[in-house]
Amino acid sequence: MAEVHIIGQIVGGSGFPQRRLFCKWGLHAGGAWKLLSGLGSGQTQVDDPQVDDVAYWCHPLDVHFATKGLQGWPKLHLQVWHQDGLGRSEVLGYGFCHIPATPGCHSLACVTWRPRGTLWERLSQSLVGGGPQLRAPETSTTGAADRFRLRTEAAGTVHLQLGVLLRHFGRYGIEC
Amino acid sequence: MDYSQVSATDQMNRSEESQMIIMEEFLDEDAAQVERLRRTLAARRHRRQTALPEAAGPPEPRTQERGRDKMAAPPPDAAPPAPRDLPPAPSTSRASFAECSVRERMREKLKAARSKAEINALQEDSSPHPRRSKSIRERKTEVKMDKTVQNDFPSAEEAYNFFTFSFDPEPESIKAGARKRNGLSEEEEAEEECVEANEDEEEEDKTDEDVRLVKDDDLFMIGQTAEDLVVMKPADYESYSEQLKKEKEFLFIPSKLTVSASEKMPGNMQPRYLEDEGIYTGERPSVSQSNQNILENRILRQEQGKKWFGDDGKILALPNPIKQSSTRPPIFSLEEAIAPELETVYAKAIKMTAANQYLVGPGDFQGPFQLDIDISGLIFTHHPCFSREHVLAAKLAQLYDQYLARKQKNLTELLTGKLDALRNAVQCSIDGGGAGVPVAQQRIPEYKLEIRQTRRLRDAEEEKDRMLLKTIIKVWKQIKSLRDFQKFTNTPMKLYLRKEETDQRLDEKRYEAEIQAEINELLEECTEEYEKKRAEYETELQKWKSWKKIQKSKKKKKKDINEEESVENYDLDEEPVKPIPPKKANILEIEQQVREKAASCRRKPGEPAVIPELVLSGSITPTELCPQAEVLRREDVKKRSAFIKVLFNSKEVSRTVTRPISSDFRVHFGQIFNLQIFNWPESLKLQIYDTVGKSSTTLLAEVFIPVPETTVLTGSAPMEEIEFSSNQRVMLDHEGVGSGVSFSFEADGSNKMTLMTSGKVSNSVSWAVGEKGIPLIPPVSQQNTGIPSSLKNIDAIASIGTSGLTDMKKLAKWAAEAKLDPNDPNNAALMKLIMVATSGEAQVPDYFRLEPLQQEFNFVSDEEFNRSKRFRLLQLRNGEVAEFRNYKQVPLHEREISEKIFQDYEKRLQERDVIDSKNVIDAHRAVVANYLQKVRESVINRFLIAKHHFILSDLVNEEEIPSLGILGLGLLKLTETKRPLKPKRKERKKVTAQNLSDGDIKLLVNIVRAYHIPVRKSVMSKLQQPSKSSRSFNEMFAAVPSAQSPADSPDWAFNQVLVRPFVEVSFQRTVCQTTTAEGPNPNWNEELELPFRAPNGDYSTHSLQSVKDEVFINVFDEVLHDAVEGDHERGSGIHAHVERHWLGCVKIPFTTIYFQGRIDGTFKMDIPPVLLGYSKEKNMGLERGYDSVRNLREGSYITLFITIEPQLIPGESVREKFDTQEDEKLLQAAEKYEAECTSKFPNRQCLTTVIDLSGKTVFITRYIKPLNPPQELLDATPNSSQTVAELVARYVALIPFLPDSVSFAGICDLWSTSDQFLYLLSGDEEEHAVLLCNYFLGMGKKAWLIIGSAIPEGPTAYVLTLEQGQYVVWNPSTGCFYGQYDTFCPLQNVYCLISCDNIWFNMQDYDSPVRINFDTSKPKLWKSFFSRSLPYPGLYSVQPEELVYQHSDKAAAVELQGRIEKLLKDKIMEWRPRHLTRWNRYCTSTLRNFLPLLEQNQGKDVEDDHEAELQKQLGDYRVSGFPIHRPFTEVRPLIEAVHSTGVHTIDISNVEFALAVYVHAYPQNVFSVWIYVASLVRNK
Repeated sequence: MAEVHIIGQIVGGSGFPQRRLFCKWGLHAGGAWKLLSGLGSGQTQVDDPQVDDVAYWCHPLDVHFATKGLQGWPKLHLQVWHQDGLGRSEVLGYGFCHIPATPGCHSLACVTWRPRGTLWERLSQSLVGGGPQLRAPETSTTGAADRFRLRTEAAGTVHLQLGVLLRHFGRYGIEC
Repeated sequence: MDYSQVSATDQMNRSEESQMIIMEEFLDEDAAQVERLRRTLAARRHRRQTALPEAAGPPEPRTQERGRDKMAAPPPDAAPPAPRDLPPAPSTSRASFAECSVRERMREKLKAARSKAEINALQEDSSPHPRRSKSIRERKTEVKMDKTVQNDFPSAEEAYNFFTFSFDPEPESIKAGARKRNGLSEEEEAEEECVEANEDEEEEDKTDEDVRLVKDDDLFMIGQTAEDLVVMKPADYESYSEQLKKEKEFLFIPSKLTVSASEKMPGNMQPRYLEDEGIYTGERPSVSQSNQNILENRILRQEQGKKWFGDDGKILALPNPIKQSSTRPPIFSLEEAIAPELETVYAKAIKMTAANQYLVGPGDFQGPFQLDIDISGLIFTHHPCFSREHVLAAKLAQLYDQYLARKQKNLTELLTGKLDALRNAVQCSIDGGGAGVPVAQQRIPEYKLEIRQTRRLRDAEEEKDRMLLKTIIKVWKQIKSLRDFQKFTNTPMKLYLRKEETDQRLDEKRYEAEIQAEINELLEECTEEYEKKRAEYETELQKWKSWKKIQKSKKKKKKDINEEESVENYDLDEEPVKPIPPKKANILEIEQQVREKAASCRRKPGEPAVIPELVLSGSITPTELCPQAEVLRREDVKKRSAFIKVLFNSKEVSRTVTRPISSDFRVHFGQIFNLQIFNWPESLKLQIYDTVGKSSTTLLAEVFIPVPETTVLTGSAPMEEIEFSSNQRVMLDHEGVGSGVSFSFEADGSNKMTLMTSGKVSNSVSWAVGEKGIPLIPPVSQQNTGIPSSLKNIDAIASIGTSGLTDMKKLAKWAAEAKLDPNDPNNAALMKLIMVATSGEAQVPDYFRLEPLQQEFNFVSDEEFNRSKRFRLLQLRNGEVAEFRNYKQVPLHEREISEKIFQDYEKRLQERDVIDSKNVIDAHRAVVANYLQKVRESVINRFLIAKHHFILSDLVNEEEIPSLGILGLGLLKLTETKRPLKPKRKERKKVTAQNLSDGDIKLLVNIVRAYHIPVRKSVMSKLQQPSKSSRSFNEMFAAVPSAQSPADSPDWAFNQVLVRPFVEVSFQRTVCQTTTAEGPNPNWNEELELPFRAPNGDYSTHSLQSVKDEVFINVFDEVLHDAVEGDHERGSGIHAHVERHWLGCVKIPFTTIYFQGRIDGTFKMDIPPVLLGYSKEKNMGLERGYDSVRNLREGSYITLFITIEPQLIPGESVREKFDTQEDEKLLQAAEKYEAECTSKFPNRQCLTTVIDLSGKTVFITRYIKPLNPPQELLDATPNSSQTVAELVARYVALIPFLPDSVSFAGICDLWSTSDQFLYLLSGDEEEHAVLLCNYFLGMGKKAWLIIGSAIPEGPTAYVLTLEQGQYVVWNPSTGCFYGQYDTFCPLQNVYCLISCDNIWFNMQDYDSPVRINFDTSKPKLWKSFFSRSLPYPGLYSVQPEELVYQHSDKAAAVELQGRIEKLLKDKIMEWRPRHLTRWNRYCTSTLRNFLPLLEQNQGKDVEDDHEAELQKQLGDYRVSGFPIHRPFTEVRPLIEAVHSTGVHTIDISNVEFALAVYVHAYPQNVFSVWIYVASLVRNK
């Protein structure tokens, strides 16, 4: 019966090799969680920074969860995409971070990574765009498979500002 | 110990045993020597110990012991002076020592040591360094260090040594190197170490100067000893044969020859094969025969070797000894398969498709998926062009196929074999194991049971085989006779019957044996059963007897106990039936049975076995030789061709080429279609089309192809034949038998058969395999099959697919088909599952738990969680449920939310399925309402996604940047006149709805004027009798004024009491009213402002479109009554009652205003046909001859201007592509036509396709078709076509009106066909118009559907008819009609006309009906859709052939009438809570008489003598009242209607009321309801 209200924004992304970025995001929570209102996933606009290399999206997040258990605390999945001059999109980074469990305002920096392809793939990536993507980006965070097979390289950082409001957790013996 | 032997052992490394032996020998010798040495040492030490107890100290013995233990080294002081110690000794000399000489040397040294030891023992004191022995084992350097350190006082010799000696730096390493070179074994090494030790000791012991000093001697000695010690020997060699000979002594090599079975089995035993007996024996892993033989031979050599063999002469073994899992750790390499969830794909940079609802994944593009559909061909098993012979041939082919399939399976043989095996097994276990093996004994009944079953199966199969053969022969005979009869051959089929001769004697013997065996078994069975029954009988009998006894005793008691009890007892104990003893089986009977059966289903002994063989080698009679009918048939076949369309999710994706049908009715396509798909396939369909010649194409059949399982990949998918059949009826005029037509092979036409076109499509559907062998399959999670995890371990999933698991029967079937061995332990789990499932107590859990431990950690239970009102409210609000949309401020605490909030919602949810069945009529309407609700919901759901889909312009509102031109214009504006004489209308700025709030929007209603308000009737005119005018179309529209009776005109002309009307506008419970004007043609010109509030404060376009509120504009008459009673008070003041009498109303829905922006025009007021106390100014114009005024006719009109401030942008309706069954070409043409039309006249709507109730696009002309109106209406006035037309229009208008622009909130119009409309009994303008148009066509009139716009409906549909050269416009939803030149015709614009075969678009400059020409034959004025370039293809209509009507239900009408009347009376009393409501019975009954008349005259033109009539009956009353007419939908709107007139508001004390209801029933449950309400005040 406890409630978690997340109000915040995806501020922007920095350190990505390209400009013209947008971000797809999704909140994933366990079975005990129920989305009361708000959108559980979305997509930002494309920001093409002219001055420095920080893309600002300032995309609002306003999600209200109810939960009957602590398992599966919501986590945020981020995908940073790049839209090139031809209007085509390609993945630049995947990132995952947990929603902070303490109430209050939090500034988070979610570092992202992206799969590193073979030499050939990298070559074609540099020439014609595109790039290796995860086949199942949802499951890749959950499964405990041989993660070492996945070769990644660091992408940029996504900055988040999240305000977390908790309610009634104390009633069930959880101190925040 | 000799060296040669050692080297031999080295060579013979292979045979360890022998080596070991040799080694032992060697060791023994060695040990012996060591032992000897030890003994001497021990003796010597003993001596030393006794001699030197104090000098040695305590550590001494320990170190010595250790030294000896470790390597059996001689005591340090025992070493003799060694020659090697001397510095010049070259290391190479040591290396040159031959291996063999080492031992020699050692031995000598040992000898020397022994002698020296003895000497030393005598002069012990000369060796005082016992501690040094400790360092012996240490490195030599250390030893040397030791020595230097310990010799505290270096002697002169030592000092000399120290400086002259060149120390050998690392002798050990040299030694090691030498060792390596020599390849010495460990033992030798050890020995050498001993030697070394000795040397060391020697070194140490050489303290005596003289040895050290005499250097030259030593050098000389080395030279001598090297030659002395080394002996050259040839390499020892043992010949190979010798070696083998030696090996033979140690080794045993089993032979590779096969071991005969007799050797393996215990004597006199036949090998027994369990597998043949039907017992499961697992499959052994494959071992090569030679290896097996070797093993067997080896085992046999052992003691009790035979116990390793089983009954079948094979080695006993586990069914599968191979370990399931590999014991070797897996080796990883990065190139190896990566876990599927971590797999990466190289994705090209993609252009995002706009609507991501089509993507499979959760928003992420996952690459295209591909489905390969291979259509190889089509075989008709029946075709209309089949000749009789073809029919038979097809039958024969089918039977032959069946025969071949059966033969391939060969079930009979299989079962016979099994039967034999089982019988043998039984025999075996009876004869052989008999007494000893209890297991075998137990098995016998099992076997027997199985024998029975197998026999039964076998018999059935045999019978089937025989029947099939018989049928084949019969059909072939039929073909032959037919060919003879018709004298030509059409098919190349030939059947050969091959006979296989059999040996009669053998056959007979077998036959007899079989019968005997069967008889025996049956007999056994029978006796068994008999025994069982007998036992049963015994027990039964026993029971019966005991019961009898009790009964008897009871009877005796009966006399004592009173009656009742005994009776009860009697009732309780029912008398059991006396059992009948069973019969014993008769052997003769059984035999007869068996023989009969054998004769019927088995080949008789000696009869040759017949094997049919079908060949296609026959010749077909050439066409020239055939009769005319056949020639025609063949030509027809040649003309025909077929093609197949592939439909994916019921959209056509591709089609095959059109291929002609060959003469054997096969079509070969051989095409593979690769479908790249984005969403999960819901349906795959093939449509088979048949074309004749070049023109017509008919859909033969639709075949649904199952979507392949995800395991079916291209390359591995098998070809499948899918049968189809069509219910098409084809009759041909040649030899072809047709389809769906009965024909017969018999001459007399008996035994008719009807065949439908049918056939088989051979195709295969599979998932494509992409590069790198990745199957292009969308993730299965899209499907909603939750696989129970407990079932995952079963292999069957792979073969029957996951969907098979949910269906246990399917699984069982699969198991049966795959011939799973039920005894195979691998299948045990599956078999158990199937058994459980088929026995009816399925234990498969029907749920799947994702997080199994979640429950333990939950704060609260699920119920409590779901019960939370707050959460529910939040969720409902978020889900945009109608009741909670834009609900503001959800309370923070649970207790603050009242239960009531959900009541409405829950009620609605419940009512959705519950049908209130109070009576027949209501029930029907409830069903319909329900149905509509569901249609609505489904439509809304479909559009919900589209609605949330925004385009850029929805979000970004970009103001145009001022350019130079605009600036220039702005400058020009300065020069404009400030107040121009002819001001231009300025377009108001439109406001997007998103940032509005309550109170921002106002509704402006400008009431300009009204015409022809009914006037109060003076009491004087009560006796007038206006003549009933008879009208006709001619009269109405011709310019000739009719001779209306002017009788009453002088009356009102001088009448001072006119009317004082005022207008009241009510909207959303806000009421505004104008001032009171005077006269029947009042002029108000007042602007009223009404606030608008959107529901729930939601001002989005979506919400505004669904506002259901209406603007009511009511016109009242203000009547002043002198309230003062008596003349005496009159002078002092004025007391007057103000009464208002309702005169009429206009209703305008808000959505109309919203969509139109503004409404400007003159509307006809809805005025009751009779207003008591008022008269309509019929002839106001009074022969003035103005058409315009005359056309006002009866009825009052009001001029209004309504708009919204600020102006809102109406939402655009969503234009979606729908499924369709229309031809692509037609749709393209329609699109083109629409584009052409709208480019010229963008304001005019061009309608070519509409959406039907099932959401499919339908061409509009399909809706127009002549239909029969109800016969009752036609019969009513048979002579006058005009009245009939009016009656029909009225009937259509009586069907309740339900605008779907409200229910489908700006989404789209759904058109229902006329029969659907009549069934649903509700629809909007289109349905009414279509029905009316169809009726008119059915009545033989010329009629068109007008698509146009009208006031106040907006875009709508009207009907146009041509009546005697005049065009008449009909409003289908009111039943009114207007001439073309009628000014007050609500139809304002005409866009297009639609008939049953064409569409015309208005190309004229004007679109007002008054100003246009309706002659569609002029192409300049009307652009037609179908023209010479695109001829009308003959579209079939979606309307039914004929409408069937239910007869009008008079009884129901009467019942309804009573109910409504009672309800209304109750309501009126309820509305007047503080007053007494009196009902005037006389008045009511009079009113009741009026109503049927009104209905009869359709509310028009009735005599205005109601009042006179009433006054005649009642006396002097002031009566005001009116009849209300409504089509019946529900009771509630009727109550509302009565309430809105405000009849009940009169609060004069002595008022009385009258209310009468009349319900007239029309066919198909259409009811016309009349309510007459009146209030009466007695005149004083």
